Amino acid sequence: MRVVSALCALALAGPARAAAPGAKAVTVRFGVIAEEPNEPDRMFTVYGPFVGRLRERLAPAGIGVGELVIASDLDDLSKRLVRKEVDFVLESVFPMLALRERSRSLEPVLLVVRRGQRAYRSVFFTRQESPIQKLADLRGRTLVLQALRSTSAFALPRAELARAGIPLVAADEAGVDSGSVRYVLALAEVNQAVWVLHGKGDAGAFNEGDWAALPEKIRARLRIFERSRPIERGLIAFRGSLEAPTRRKLEEVMLGLHQDEAGRAALTRASGVTRFERLTQVEKQAVLAWAPVLLPMNTR
Amino acid sequence: MRTSGIGTRYALYVAALALALVVVALVAAGFIALRQLRVVQADLREAVTAARAKDDERALDGAARYLGVHLFNPLYQLDVERLNEAIEQTRAWLPVVSFLVVDRDGLVLTDGTPANPGYGDGVEGPLPQDESAGPILVRRGSETEMRFRVAAGGVAAGWAIVALAEPPWQASLRRLEEKRTAELWSGHRTSLLSLGALVLVATLGLGLLTSLLLSRTLARPLTEMSRAAEKIASGNLDHPLTLDSPDELGDLARALNRMANDLRAHEEALRAERSDLAAKNAELERFNYTVSHDLKTPLVTIRGFAGLAGTDLVAGRNEAVRKDLGRIVAAADKMHRLLDDLLELSRIGRVVHPPEDVALGGLVREALELLKSQLERKSLAVEVAPDLPMVRADRRRLLEVLQNLIENAAKFTGTQRRPRIEIGWRMDGAERVFYVRDNGQGIEPRFLERVFGLFEKLDPGGEGTGVGLALVRRIVEAHGGRAWAESAGLGHGATLCFTLPAPAEAAAVAS
Repeated sequence: MRVVSALCALALAGPARAAAPGAKAVTVRFGVIAEEPNEPDRMFTVYGPFVGRLRERLAPAGIGVGELVIASDLDDLSKRLVRKEVDFVLESVFPMLALRERSRSLEPVLLVVRRGQRAYRSVFFTRQESPIQKLADLRGRTLVLQALRSTSAFALPRAELARAGIPLVAADEAGVDSGSVRYVLALAEVNQAVWVLHGKGDAGAFNEGDWAALPEKIRARLRIFERSRPIERGLIAFRGSLEAPTRRKLEEVMLGLHQDEAGRAALTRASGVTRFERLTQVEKQAVLAWAPVLLPMNTR
Repeated sequence: MRTSGIGTRYALYVAALALALVVVALVAAGFIALRQLRVVQADLREAVTAARAKDDERALDGAARYLGVHLFNPLYQLDVERLNEAIEQTRAWLPVVSFLVVDRDGLVLTDGTPANPGYGDGVEGPLPQDESAGPILVRRGSETEMRFRVAAGGVAAGWAIVALAEPPWQASLRRLEEKRTAELWSGHRTSLLSLGALVLVATLGLGLLTSLLLSRTLARPLTEMSRAAEKIASGNLDHPLTLDSPDELGDLARALNRMANDLRAHEEALRAERSDLAAKNAELERFNYTVSHDLKTPLVTIRGFAGLAGTDLVAGRNEAVRKDLGRIVAAADKMHRLLDDLLELSRIGRVVHPPEDVALGGLVREALELLKSQLERKSLAVEVAPDLPMVRADRRRLLEVLQNLIENAAKFTGTQRRPRIEIGWRMDGAERVFYVRDNGQGIEPRFLERVFGLFEKLDPGGEGTGVGLALVRRIVEAHGGRAWAESAGLGHGATLCFTLPAPAEAAAVAS
């Protein structure tokens, strides 16, 4: 099915490459949300080569790629989508669903394979000597998470806790009962682990890839006590009103980026992307099905 | 053909030794120069380092104060990711070799690397505790370790331990030193190679010269001697070495010549002895034949007349029996005399009396006295030379010689009406020849040698057993002399001669 789709895309891409003289110039923009703290230089460093590579590959088709758009948060990016200042994004499932819901104009198209993973799980970990053995043992304790828009290090753990009937509340929130789990944000996965080891939290949660990437001496002092359901690693989503020829050409180019050395280097720099794959209809439905799980009412 | 002579080999030894000595000297000179250079470099480095030390300390103090503040927030928040970024950024303006961020408990939080292998390790050595104190600076070889507090507003979040590579000016100085040293060493090496090539040529020349010299003074004489030894070994003793050298080679050549001469002398002596032995064997064969023949003759006579005596006795012929017995007795007497002479002859070869100085004139007179009646009966006139010399000989044997010669002359007077015997001597070259000369019947030239044979009698009916002259020759030869006969033929008389060595030679023969 995926092969057929790719062939169709290639067939349709032909006319786009040979843009008719006098055709209206098209420019697409890639939008990202700044990390905390907001340091644009970092974003340009990470995604600059990806944008540059796209620019090179799309230019023959008469499609320009504008400067990277750095939004300050989900809300900012969704507004930019609405204002058509951004045409496509690369996000994990939770922010993509949040943006889709807020902008009502975002459609997941490609699956992002990161560090060889098409899907991943979140792991809950604690110190080796900790009494915590299951999610229920987290009640009344502090969970170290990464950032509010992280799928594996916030939304998915929160969903798993909710599934177990355990509410997750910010640590600084007043009036938290002992049945809830408080959370603090460490901004980086390695920080989550160090905070747990230094007592700034009782447990942490992030994806299993981050667990494998921890320094050996840190990982040896921790243990995993729970794992989440698997979820897709990441998605490329297009603004819903993006013109079809442009969308097809964009899809085609991105699907082939990993096929040369420069493309692979640009993808790797962009947070460790291995390649893009076309999202099947079934997979798309599965992704969208995460919306009610990952997007509780208070974060919508 | 040898490919490598002794001269070439020793020349190579000399050349190699000279070359090695020169190379060692050159290398040693280079080493000393290099060491002196290093001393100067060390002094310069020390002077420059001392001048720059204060500046370095100020710079490091400033860097520590800046990083102490800059790292405070991420360390206080345990934000390892931002600490790692800060460390990475620091590498851009400081020559960081290693960077450790230590938490309040004195344990390593991060070393700036993703693997962070030192996480949780305690740090050794002191950490600055006082807020007002500057960084602790420790020199480790070319590196400088800097330890400082990460603090703000009097609150310490932890420490940082930064190892820095040598400062750029120091690295430049070191590189300059290395470059200059390398250039100097390269120059020295070039000089060394040039000099080495020169020395090689010189030593090759020296070696060639030594080779020629040794070839002339050592190898060539040795080769000649080797060839001479090979000739001697093959029996060729007539090529003496002409080397006349005052050293060991000369000694060796002279020894070889002596050896060749001795071998030649021994060979000649052996040849003479072999010839003598062959003559003696021949004589012995003749002797055996003669003895068996001459002894058999009386036996045949005895056997014949014994048979006749028996026949005559049976026939009653007493007179005939008496005559037969008379002949048997005569034959037995003859056989007795023959055996006595044989015994005497054999004794000459075995019994040797000590030689003494003998006045030959007196001895002649003694012999004439012993033969007086025989000489008078034949009316022989005897003339003795008045100047007969002294000789050194076995007196008894020499008397026998004179008796036999005089008796022999007396026997063969022949038909001479005035028989005469002359006893004298003459010098024949350096040899003294003694003689007994008669004017009797003489000897045919073909029998001149035969008369000295055992039992040889030219006149079968003559007196005697035929041993006399054989005895003379035997005695004379035992004294180292010779005996022979001279005669112009029948009717011309005969002269029997003999020689005796001079007294000094006689002593040598006797010994």
